Amino acid sequence: MRYTFIPELFRQLFSKPFTNLFPLKYAPASIKDTLDKIKKGEIEINPPVEIPDKEIFRGKIQYDREKCIGCGLCIKVCPAKAIELKKEEKKIRIYVGRCIFCGQCVDACPKGALSQGEEFLLADADKLNKEWVIE
Amino acid sequence: MELGMKCFKRALWIYHMNTGSCNGCDIEIIAALTPRYDVERFGIRLVGTPRHADVIALTGPVTSDMVDKVKRVYEQTPDPKVVLVVGSCGISGGVFHESYHLEGPIDKIIPDGTFVYVPGCPPRPEAIIQGVIKAWEILEEVRGNGRTTQKTEGEKD
Ligand code: SF4
Ligand code: SF4
Ligand code: SF4
Repeated sequence: MRYTFIPELFRQLFSKPFTNLFPLKYAPASIKDTLDKIKKGEIEINPPVEIPDKEIFRGKIQYDREKCIGCGLCIKVCPAKAIELKKEEKKIRIYVGRCIFCGQCVDACPKGALSQGEEFLLADADKLNKEWVIE
Repeated sequence: MELGMKCFKRALWIYHMNTGSCNGCDIEIIAALTPRYDVERFGIRLVGTPRHADVIALTGPVTSDMVDKVKRVYEQTPDPKVVLVVGSCGISGGVFHESYHLEGPIDKIIPDGTFVYVPGCPPRPEAIIQGVIKAWEILEEVRGNGRTTQKTEGEKD
C-alpha cells in the first residue's frame, strides 16, 4: 500500500516535461545576437502552444477591402469602437490596439469582408504601426 | 559594481501592477509564470517592489484613483526601464474607453516612458512573453551590453 506512488514516479521521471519551450529553452547571452541568428535561419524558435481549434480561434482581424461596401454595421456592434469609417471611400479602418478580438464585427458583416486569422503574437513598441492599423 | 552588472544583466525582473483592469490580463501574466510556459527559466520573475524591477508590467486603463500610484511606481523604478502595457485596455482604453472615471490610457499618464504594447483582451501568454523579449531588446540597446559576438560564450573578459 505504501509504495503505490512508485509506478507514477517512474512514469513522471521518463515522460516529457509539460513546459512549452517558447521561444527558446534558456535565455541567450544576447537577445539581439539571437534575433539576428533567427533571421538568418541559424537558430529555430520553438513554436508556441498549438491553437486549440482553428475554426473558432479569435486572432487578429483580417479585412478584405474588395468585399466591403461601407455599410457601417461592424462599427455599430463593435463594443470597443475600434473601427472607423472612411466616409469618402466607403471603407473602414480597424485599430488593433483598441480591438478586443471579440468577433462581433465578423458576425455582423453582411458581405463576409471580415474574418479572424490565427495571428496572435502582436507585441510592438509602436501602437500605430502598419501591422496594427488595418485598412 | 562591475561584477554586479554582469551577474544581473541577464535576468529580467518585472513588477506587475493592476491599474484598474478586469483581472483577465493579470491572470494571463500569472499563466506565463506557471509550469506550462515557465518564464522563470529565462530569469524573468515578478518582484514585490518597483525598486527591484527592470520592467513594469501594467494592465488596465488607469482609473482616476490609480493615476498618482502609477506615476509613483514609474518614478521609483530605476533607469533604464521599460513599461510593458499588457492588454488592449491599457493601450487605448479598450472596452472601457468611454468610462466616466478613466484618466488613461497609460501613455497619457507617463508621457516620457518607453513602452512595449501587447494587444489582446487578454493576450495569450506567448504574446506576453514576446512583449517581454521586445522590452529586453530595448533594454539591451539602452544599456549597450547587447552584442557578445566579440566575447566568448562564457563571458570571461
Ligand atoms: S473583433 Fe470586436 S473589438 Fe475587434 S473590431 Fe471586431 S467588433 Fe470591434
Ligand atoms: S460590416 Fe462588412 S461591409 Fe459593412 S462596413 Fe463593416 S466590413 Fe464593410
Ligand atoms: S485588456 Fe481586456 S482582459 Fe485585459 S485587463 Fe483589459 S479588459 Fe481585462
